[in-house]
Amino acid sequence: MMGLVNTVKQFFDDRYDTKLAGELISKQAFKRLPPHTGWLHVLGSLSLLLFISQTITGIMLLIYYRPTPEAAHKSIQYITAEVQFGWLYRQIHAWGASMMIFAVILHMIRTFFMGAYKKPRELTWVTGVILFILTITFGFTGYLLPWNQIAFWATTVGTESASKVPVIGDWLQYFLRGGDAVTGETLSRFFVVHVILLPWALTGVIAVHLFLMRLSNLATLERVGEEAPLKPEHGIPFFPVHVAKEGVVVMMMLAVLVTLSVVSPWEIGEPANALQTPPHIKPEWYFLPSYQLLKYFEGPYGALMGIIGCSVPFVLLLLWPFLDRGKERHPRKRPIAVGLGLFGLLGAMFLGYLGHISETEQTFFGQRYHITLKGWPVPLDDTADAEPPAH
Amino acid sequence: MSGQMNKPPTRRSFLDLILAVGSLLTTAAVSIPGLMYLWPAAKGGGPAKVEVEGADQMTPGQGKTIQVGSQAVVVVRHRSGFKAYSAVCTHLGCLVTWDSPTKSFLCPCHAAVFDENGKVVSGPPPAPLPEFVVKEIGDKVFVSAA
Ligand code: HEM
Ligand code: FES
Repeated sequence: MMGLVNTVKQFFDDRYDTKLAGELISKQAFKRLPPHTGWLHVLGSLSLLLFISQTITGIMLLIYYRPTPEAAHKSIQYITAEVQFGWLYRQIHAWGASMMIFAVILHMIRTFFMGAYKKPRELTWVTGVILFILTITFGFTGYLLPWNQIAFWATTVGTESASKVPVIGDWLQYFLRGGDAVTGETLSRFFVVHVILLPWALTGVIAVHLFLMRLSNLATLERVGEEAPLKPEHGIPFFPVHVAKEGVVVMMMLAVLVTLSVVSPWEIGEPANALQTPPHIKPEWYFLPSYQLLKYFEGPYGALMGIIGCSVPFVLLLLWPFLDRGKERHPRKRPIAVGLGLFGLLGAMFLGYLGHISETEQTFFGQRYHITLKGWPVPLDDTADAEPPAH
Repeated sequence: MSGQMNKPPTRRSFLDLILAVGSLLTTAAVSIPGLMYLWPAAKGGGPAKVEVEGADQMTPGQGKTIQVGSQAVVVVRHRSGFKAYSAVCTHLGCLVTWDSPTKSFLCPCHAAVFDENGKVVSGPPPAPLPEFVVKEIGDKVFVSAA
């Protein structure tokens, strides 16, 4: 055994500068992170691990999935009912998609409130926002693949919104759909984007994001330009301390994914029917805020204003490090940025909640309400003492 | 070297020019067909004129969704005859259905209501439902795009 190891070692030593290679690797493995690096700094790794999990389960699904309108829905049924553990990998992929988006959002929240986007890390933030957009696109394109009613119509509405973009809208919609309507051409396009283009695009942008992160090391909470140099003996070693935290997080992530998959499985739904729109189609949770916001824009320019309204937050996110040039990093010393951030976050959550409960019946404080499309509660007077309408 | 800048083209600057123009042309030659490849190939769709199956069994007030070419169309039988409108809601593309009690087209997505002539009564759609041409020949009914 030892002989074999030595032979292999000798093989590499004869050909490469293995000492240099070893130094490079241990420099990375034992690099020091700033002393306040803790559990919140694990969210980026969590996003990456979920991407890896999505890639593995996605490749497994691809073995049985068929991207045509005739076969797609049946192939998902086949994966779920016939293939051994097929149900598990499909569920982990579907839940993993939601968790990945959730992890990316939490990671963004962490870096926002800790001021980590400030000089010199502006471009790390910008590549992060691009990763967020790519991740959402992953969700949008993957959603259509099972070719069920809800996905078919959510995609119809989603791509129809694209036609409201000024000047190029109609072309854009035609291009996205591969024709006038959502058909097998659309399925092929979304499939290629979902399983080839996005995985490689995401891999490339992640590489740049991590490279930039490493170049400037993790941010501290000190003022911009006044960071004290990191004394190695005060830093936290990446290996084993931070890696151990990441290991704990992977195990928790797998436990949560499997639990959700078993306790609350995703339905396959009815196969797509191009001649009938089902009632109350709603998008995935991460699109609910834009879905609800779009409802408030009406009239001839409504759709255009709606598109602008939904793009502004993303443009603001991309430009944010260049808009907020204050020197402070500590959240308690940045009341305006923190206030705006909280406002945006709570606003998105509120809109998403309205989108979730719109067109349903809800009970608040013992009274039944019908929640309208725009989220207004209308009391349901099934109680005898309800006041009659004023007119 | 800098003194030669304003002089007539030398052999070197001429070759540079050829190289620059050549790279541009090569880029165009490689990318234009690629972009055209991505553009959806126009397809006929289906027949542009379609017979409404079972039209004689529809009672006045009844509606039915059929496919004309690549378009979903609602055909409604009124006492006065048949009428047809695009079923694609002008808001965001969901399909409307005919509701005979209220004599209107309803959209399930954002609760739009269109009257029996396709005009918007309420909801977010910016435009009425486009009408389709109906021809009644004997007891057969044909629908085609306007
Ligand atoms: C390299 C990576 C990936 C590959 C090869 C892949 C492949 C696939 C395949 C074949 C399906 C159809 C099977 C099914 O619907 O269950 C699918 C569905 C889906 N994918 Fe992915 N995927 C990848 C990454 C992602 C990522 C990163 C996300 C989101 C963040 C995502 C979100 C989705 C969603 C939401 C569905 C629909 C799930 C369902 O309803 O069952 N995928 N993917
Ligand atoms: S799609 Fe018909 S009302 Fe919105």
